[in-house]
Amino acid sequence: MPTFTYDGKTIPFEPGETIIHAAWRAGVEIPHYCWHPGLSSPANCRMCLIEIMPKPGTRGLALDILEWDESIKDYKPVQKPKLQPACYIGAAEGMDVRGDTSNHVKEARKGVQEFLLLNHPVDCPICDQSGECKLQDYWLEHGQYQKRMRDEPVHKPKAVVFGPTIVYDAERCVMCTRCIRFMEEVAKDPVLDMRERGNLNEIIVAPGRQLEGHYTFMTEHVCPVGALTTKDFRFKARVWFLRTANSICQGCATGCNAHLDFDPRYNKAYRYRPRDNMQVNKFWMCDEGMLTYKAAHDVRIVEARVGVASRKATTVAQAIDEAKKLLASVPKDSIAIVLHARYSLEDNWAMRQLATLLGTKQIYWSGLPDGYHDDILIHRDKNSNTAGVKMLAPDAKPFSALLDDVRAARVSHVIALGGSTPGEPETDAQVMQSAQLVSISAHEGALTKGANVLLPATSWAEHSGTYVNAKGMRQLSDKALEPQGSSLPAWQHVAALARALGLEVTWTKLKQIRQEMALDAVDGAADHASHAVSPTVGGI
Amino acid sequence: MEPLDQELEEGELVLPADSMHLNLGPSHPAMHGTVRIVLELSGETIVKADVQIGYLHRGFEKMCERGTWAQVFPYVDRLNYVSPMLNNVGYALAVEKMCGLVVPDRCQWYRMALGELARISDHLTCDGAMAMELGAFTPFLWFIKAREMVWDILEEETGARLTHSFGRIGGMAKPPTAAFKDLIRGTIPKIIDLVEEGEKMLLKNRIFLDRLENVGTISGKDAVALGWTGPCLRASGVAYDVRRSHPYLKYDEVEFDVPVGTRGDTLDRFLVRLAEIRQSQRILAQICDMMPDDGPVNCDDPRVMLPEKHDVYTTIEATIQHFKLIMEGAKIPAGEVYSYTEGGNGELGYYLVSDGTGTPYRVRIRPPCFQITGGLSKLITGRMLSDIVPTFGSLNMIGGECDH
Amino acid sequence: MSKLVLEKLKLAYEGAILETHSNHGDDTAVVKPESWKEIAQYLRSDPQLDFDMPTDLCAVDYPGRTPRMEVVMHLYSTTRKHRIRVKTRVGDEDLDGCEVESVTSIWPGMDWLEREVFDMNGVTFKGHPDLRRILMYPEFEGHPLRKDYPCQKTQPLVEYRTEEEAGRPLAKLPPFGHDEGLAFGRKHWPTATPGNGEEN
Repeated sequence: MPTFTYDGKTIPFEPGETIIHAAWRAGVEIPHYCWHPGLSSPANCRMCLIEIMPKPGTRGLALDILEWDESIKDYKPVQKPKLQPACYIGAAEGMDVRGDTSNHVKEARKGVQEFLLLNHPVDCPICDQSGECKLQDYWLEHGQYQKRMRDEPVHKPKAVVFGPTIVYDAERCVMCTRCIRFMEEVAKDPVLDMRERGNLNEIIVAPGRQLEGHYTFMTEHVCPVGALTTKDFRFKARVWFLRTANSICQGCATGCNAHLDFDPRYNKAYRYRPRDNMQVNKFWMCDEGMLTYKAAHDVRIVEARVGVASRKATTVAQAIDEAKKLLASVPKDSIAIVLHARYSLEDNWAMRQLATLLGTKQIYWSGLPDGYHDDILIHRDKNSNTAGVKMLAPDAKPFSALLDDVRAARVSHVIALGGSTPGEPETDAQVMQSAQLVSISAHEGALTKGANVLLPATSWAEHSGTYVNAKGMRQLSDKALEPQGSSLPAWQHVAALARALGLEVTWTKLKQIRQEMALDAVDGAADHASHAVSPTVGGI
Repeated sequence: MEPLDQELEEGELVLPADSMHLNLGPSHPAMHGTVRIVLELSGETIVKADVQIGYLHRGFEKMCERGTWAQVFPYVDRLNYVSPMLNNVGYALAVEKMCGLVVPDRCQWYRMALGELARISDHLTCDGAMAMELGAFTPFLWFIKAREMVWDILEEETGARLTHSFGRIGGMAKPPTAAFKDLIRGTIPKIIDLVEEGEKMLLKNRIFLDRLENVGTISGKDAVALGWTGPCLRASGVAYDVRRSHPYLKYDEVEFDVPVGTRGDTLDRFLVRLAEIRQSQRILAQICDMMPDDGPVNCDDPRVMLPEKHDVYTTIEATIQHFKLIMEGAKIPAGEVYSYTEGGNGELGYYLVSDGTGTPYRVRIRPPCFQITGGLSKLITGRMLSDIVPTFGSLNMIGGECDH
Repeated sequence: MSKLVLEKLKLAYEGAILETHSNHGDDTAVVKPESWKEIAQYLRSDPQLDFDMPTDLCAVDYPGRTPRMEVVMHLYSTTRKHRIRVKTRVGDEDLDGCEVESVTSIWPGMDWLEREVFDMNGVTFKGHPDLRRILMYPEFEGHPLRKDYPCQKTQPLVEYRTEEEAGRPLAKLPPFGHDEGLAFGRKHWPTATPGNGEEN
């Protein structure tokens, strides 16, 4: 592979690759605002200017300038090399590129930074971006000057509503055009553009349109400053109080890699951010997916309950006791086990194991019905682990078969994982009422409404779990929050239930389940590294 | 118990052969600091002593791992709370050593001056309290009166009498006030007068001397092996003073002597502290002559120094600088450093580990009196119960420092 | 001068020294845990080195590294006026086998320091005459300066007062408010192996 050097460091590159892209892949950050590895290069922020040394024996491009000389108290003519944007210049074999080691580059970065902050409002204390803002980071790294301009800055529109999800602040905008390019190149909906020139530059929405669709949150995510903010996260939390966990989006079968940002003080999730994974979601996520973080708190079941009508709150131990009474003297063949495609591989494995221990052949699977899909990221299947369930239990019957079997009284007792079903919640719940139902679920749904015993499971955000996406990739989602209420990971409920029923359960730790799962040679899916495959340099 | 006036013929009196256990502290009027000593006594002789500390443990080192580097300053104030300025300066020097920063000359002199004032206050407290515990209440009041004068100066400079939180990474919170030198020049003679008066009362008092002389003796070699530093070590004849052996700030530019004792007993420790007050006086006089009256106090590195408040409110650049330093903390280069200064009780060391972020990875403090207190049981074993009070007093155990 | 200390040490114990550096002018040697006491004895007794003062002993926890715990000793020579920092690394990722030999017999001042490191970081010193907690109380569970010990955790010997007992709403409930006791400087501690299931 051909190479060039950046500040003395050898960096390999693919032919046709830009300098900044090759450096980014090698884990070297060249400061930039407008460049994004997933978008085209406009070269308009000028922050990535670099000095390319002329080949020995040749003259490089240079400009004649006048420089103030303190010793003679006068200007003197000097030559200054022409700097080039690293996001636009293709790398070439043996190129000698200077960044931090070139005084010209350092001066240029400082100058660009000063220009970008010239009219910037003093907004850090009220800006949602502060703490993860490129203007702040680069000022400290490359600026470190104090303001020289004493004029009133240019004032531009603030809090412009771009659409149902996004608010725009023109004063904070650095005109990098990342949002414009994202809408055009990735979302294929060129609804944003810019108008005016120079100081009056601002981003606008096409007349008669508003910023809407399935990828509006991404415009906020690509914004390197606080110009675009989402209505969902605006003024909700300060980012430096948030901790983050590597998570997997639960919105559909694509299984986008995400950062789940949460505040440990309140045990509350605040947002999803895409996590780069070139094999799955590249740099992006859809709006619906990014809002699924709310499922960590919405319609949650955090207490054990018993009784179909009374739904009396009780302890987990008592609920398990109740379930034992319900199931103890039932012929094993009339107990149905329902797996769920929105639960992790470990939880479903435990359920499958329970079916084997009980000796029942009645295995079904449930999940959400199909929905909207597109060619970019959104998958038709709205369950995060359908492939995993099918892999664990290829013999599992669909949920409609369970409804038929319940109606025909072939199944009298059901142990179900999860709450949601593919059908209408009301009708499904009504059918299920004719069976005795033990439900282990994190969220309310058709399967929890008619449950005789309801055990509170943790949501995906509260435990570590594996999910298999539509492409068959196993991906790991880490624990972020502490379990809410008296909820426990579903596999722990399954183990407790099995033990209460007098079955012999060998696994007591998630580690053991993972080891045993690895021994089961049923999976045809290749193991994929779950965490970011591509290098991530300090948040593109 | 039999009545005391019972007449017993000699030979009839049988003392119990078992040793007696006595629990001294953790709160005892004759001990300064909360410390508990579990004693095994044979009569009044101490057979075994177990010194138990930790009553003032506040998880200082753990707390430091949660905030920014600058947020450690208020915590170090509360280590040796009799001379907080020395802790402040010591910590600032440790972080600066890590960053490779050197503060301007004026700040170095200023730090020295404040530090020497704090040292005077530390020694006055120790000697005064020790005299008080032996029953001499008047010298204590005089010493405390003198200490109050020192604290007045410090209050004038920093705004706080005790916990100043005045140090900053790369400088001090404020430049010296215009009256600083005059305050020192005017106050120090008064302090010395008071010290002399107290001294006269004590050093001609037979009871006081008898209780101190040849009590709690330790040889220089033993003291070093125990890790003793400061006045306690110097009383045993080892002239180890960080200011002289490894000069920092401007200590190599001032003249002072390192007083040492000869016997290593409690009286020597008392006298060394008094002598050091006079050396501090000498140093302060030289600082007043040599400290420049103008010039910068803080270094101007925007990565560690806060901007002017007015600029923070009006310009985005200063807002960013302020935000970065307050919210994320000054980024200290990754690495480890051990920095040591002469504290009130001896070598005050900071072992810092940074992972390059704005939060300390590990802040380890080496409090001088931790090891000194560790040697207490050795000093009192075999001595009389009443010797504990002067011996313990002369070690100057400061709970905040010793217990972290 | 002090450079020579490291040179001499390296010559004497070539195989036992894992690495050395002199960053910020602090001479540092990382030694194998099994040579800890032997090297300490050498540093104390060699007349040219003569490290007679045990300045400090502490430990630093590095979850994610194996060995995880770093025991750090600072020594000083009052006669030669030089210093050295000696470190050793012990304990696997769960801190099993986190022990080194005691050097109390070489420097009596190490007695309390070793007790403190045992108390705070849970390093066991083999051969220490009286290894028990020193700063924490005997009933205390865990070792507070390990990184996986939560900084908000409290272990009161006397239970905190509840609102029922007080008969009125209390402004602060243990562990004393959401906003107290949390860093905002650091994003999060590196965990040893994320998602290995230990958290459940």
